[in-house]
Amino acid sequence: MSVSMSPNNIVLRSLSQIGECGLFLLRILAAVPRSLRHIRETVRQLWFVGAMSLIIIMVCGLFVGMVLGLQLYDVLSIFGGTSATGTVVAIAIYRELGPVVTALLFAGRAGTSVTAEIGLMRATDQIAAMEMMAVDPIAYVAVPRFLAGVIAMPLLCCVFCALGIFGGHLVGVNWLGIDNGTFWSNMTATVDLMKDVVNGVLWKSVVFGAVVSLIAVFQGYTTPPTSEGVAYATTRTVVASSIAILALDFVLTAFLM
Amino acid sequence: MTEPTRAKPDDNALVRVRGLTTVLNGKKVFDALDMDIPRGKITAIMGPSGTGKTTLLKHITGQMRGDAGEVWVDGNQVSALSRDKLFELRERIGYLFQNSALLTDFDVFENVAFPLRQHTQLPEVLIRNIVLTKLQAVGLRGAAGLMPTELSGGMARRVALARAIVFDPMLILYDEPFVGLDPIALNQVLKLIRTLNETLGITSVLVAHELEAIKQVADHIYLIANGKVVAQGDPKTIADDGSPWTRQFFGGESDGPVPFQYPAGDLGASLGFPRRGA
Amino acid sequence: MSQRPSYAVGTGLFIVLGFAALGYLATQTTSVANTSRGPSYTVEAHFANIGQLKERAPVKVAGVRIGQVKSIVLDPGKETADVKLAIDQRYSQIPEDSVATIFTSGLLGDQYVGIQYGSSKKLVTEGGTLVLTRPAQQLEEMLGKFFGAGGAADNLSGSYVVKARFTNIGALSVGAPVKMAGVAIGSVQSVSADPVKLDAEVTLAIDKKYDQIPDDSAAAVFTSGLIGTQYVAIQPGGSPDMLKNGDEMVLTQSALQIEDLIGKFLVSGSPSDKKDADNGKAAGDKSGDKH
Repeated sequence: MSVSMSPNNIVLRSLSQIGECGLFLLRILAAVPRSLRHIRETVRQLWFVGAMSLIIIMVCGLFVGMVLGLQLYDVLSIFGGTSATGTVVAIAIYRELGPVVTALLFAGRAGTSVTAEIGLMRATDQIAAMEMMAVDPIAYVAVPRFLAGVIAMPLLCCVFCALGIFGGHLVGVNWLGIDNGTFWSNMTATVDLMKDVVNGVLWKSVVFGAVVSLIAVFQGYTTPPTSEGVAYATTRTVVASSIAILALDFVLTAFLM
Repeated sequence: MTEPTRAKPDDNALVRVRGLTTVLNGKKVFDALDMDIPRGKITAIMGPSGTGKTTLLKHITGQMRGDAGEVWVDGNQVSALSRDKLFELRERIGYLFQNSALLTDFDVFENVAFPLRQHTQLPEVLIRNIVLTKLQAVGLRGAAGLMPTELSGGMARRVALARAIVFDPMLILYDEPFVGLDPIALNQVLKLIRTLNETLGITSVLVAHELEAIKQVADHIYLIANGKVVAQGDPKTIADDGSPWTRQFFGGESDGPVPFQYPAGDLGASLGFPRRGA
Repeated sequence: MSQRPSYAVGTGLFIVLGFAALGYLATQTTSVANTSRGPSYTVEAHFANIGQLKERAPVKVAGVRIGQVKSIVLDPGKETADVKLAIDQRYSQIPEDSVATIFTSGLLGDQYVGIQYGSSKKLVTEGGTLVLTRPAQQLEEMLGKFFGAGGAADNLSGSYVVKARFTNIGALSVGAPVKMAGVAIGSVQSVSADPVKLDAEVTLAIDKKYDQIPDDSAAAVFTSGLIGTQYVAIQPGGSPDMLKNGDEMVLTQSALQIEDLIGKFLVSGSPSDKKDADNGKAAGDKSGDKH
């Protein structure tokens, strides 16, 4: 609410947004125990943000893997090292492309719909109605969507990575003729469970899921309850999420390396 | 301007407002407002747009807090209640939103069942019975399977009313219940308000502009302007008290104590004409 | 919530699919797929040169993985690398006279230890040693009969300094490793051109642990792998006197030129060793003459 009254300076305004977002996170975390009774709602949201995003994640994962296979084969053939295609595809996807691209797609597909949904719930007084029915809207509306995002992102990211590897295999082995055994054995010889899968895929995607969901819920919850406000909030969700994902990716990579 | 009529203390009041003062965005919405809402009666709150009638309802339900003064509901001072106590109190208050505020994710049945599911562990059979009884009361039992988007404005408001009374509350707050309704739907809602009050003895507070409709149901009318109660009384006699406020409001005059012009500087100066003698 | 069953089923399927993908990534595409499960026993093997063999590299029989390299150490005063192999318990039928060889998988691939079974009825047991070994083989070796190659330089504690002169050092730079039998024993401290003799004077800092190097040992500039960096390889001689601080190594071999190498390779034909295919190490990529 106080955003509109905050100083006009864009730096100060961004700072106050970040600050309010942080306070909102505290409210969400404090409401997690209370939202356990709304576990069905969390399952329902998991369906909306997770399962409904599967198709786009799978299609994009497949194509990212395929184009990686194609490009890497081209470059590695300069050094006569096409047998390393599988390794490089896997490492590129696990460490960077998987979590980052999944998070960006997730922000575009699920984040925007969460923002718009909550914004409209405010505009049509549904949030206020919950307050009046003695149902805590933070616990009933915000937390289930936040938790669903935190749970869905790693799962989506794993699906993305699996499809990416499959796409790389499709192009490298079935099309360009790399030996199937070489493709897999080089990959399994180099890819490390902790460094690549746990640190790369899981940790990053959990953090990205939390950040994207927080931004989406926060924007929807604090937007002015008008159709214009909801439209702006949806845009801000994508912009803020994208910046946060890429900036955090650098920080996380530096920490997890 | 006459001295605003002061509410007399009344032990029978379910809601008692004393000296409520609220400042929003630099504007004084309430200025030491006093009001009593008697038990078991239908009380209407009227006033020009923007005088904070809806804001007053929000004070009664604890969604907003005044900067000074007290709001008592059934012996509890609302602003002093803890969150849990406040939620307990709200379970005994029904609130009908201007735009119905049905949850768009659920159908009519689930919307009415929502408070029951959230606050009780009743068996499914019992929930079904309660919900269908309430829907029958508003005449929409046949619409139980529809989604909110499939309802007309009047139907949505009746569903919202069914939801508001699902716990048999002691108090129902109606926020502009007649806005945007055709005469048939308006009379249906009017009839429901009266029936609920007569059969269940529910205390009702109406915020509305429709004087004719209110005259039919209200037992008592408060007229608010400038953050104070400027007139109150029986619907038949309130228009006759002779104050300029009532004359303007009930007579529907465009100018009076409520000015036609929003406060502004000198028109000539705004248009850039040179001042005389300057 | 009347729609709850379909949501619950769909969400459940989604979660199962996600975890299945995670399980697939974790077990089928990572080194977990290679990690030996179940109990193993340890066998030692001594190699004159381990090339780029690393810990956790696979140990194979007939191309099938039976275990992994547990540790690699170079004992001070010895010229051979001591490699410990952890072999799965179920492959306990390895004859004592089996031959352990360091192979390379593919051109750029990692190296691994291959075991060819012998005919002895006695089997190696926990703590036993495979006496018969064949070291990692390099293109340089096949062409110029020199040892070489290895991993990165160690962090050294105390060291002593010897000098060596080369007519050509290729791309050798300060900090490059100094290796013996493929294991790093020191690093290049300085590289400078001698204005009078018109050659390069290289100062080598060698770890004090390795003070048993004969003073007639030879120093050569080699390249690790096809596109790797250059390093100085020391091939021990037979003199009873050892190198001391400030000594100069007399026998040196300059960086090889790839064109030169290929030319000789074609002229002299492939060496007698039959392991050509497994030795993917090509020679240096910088200019230089052969001494």
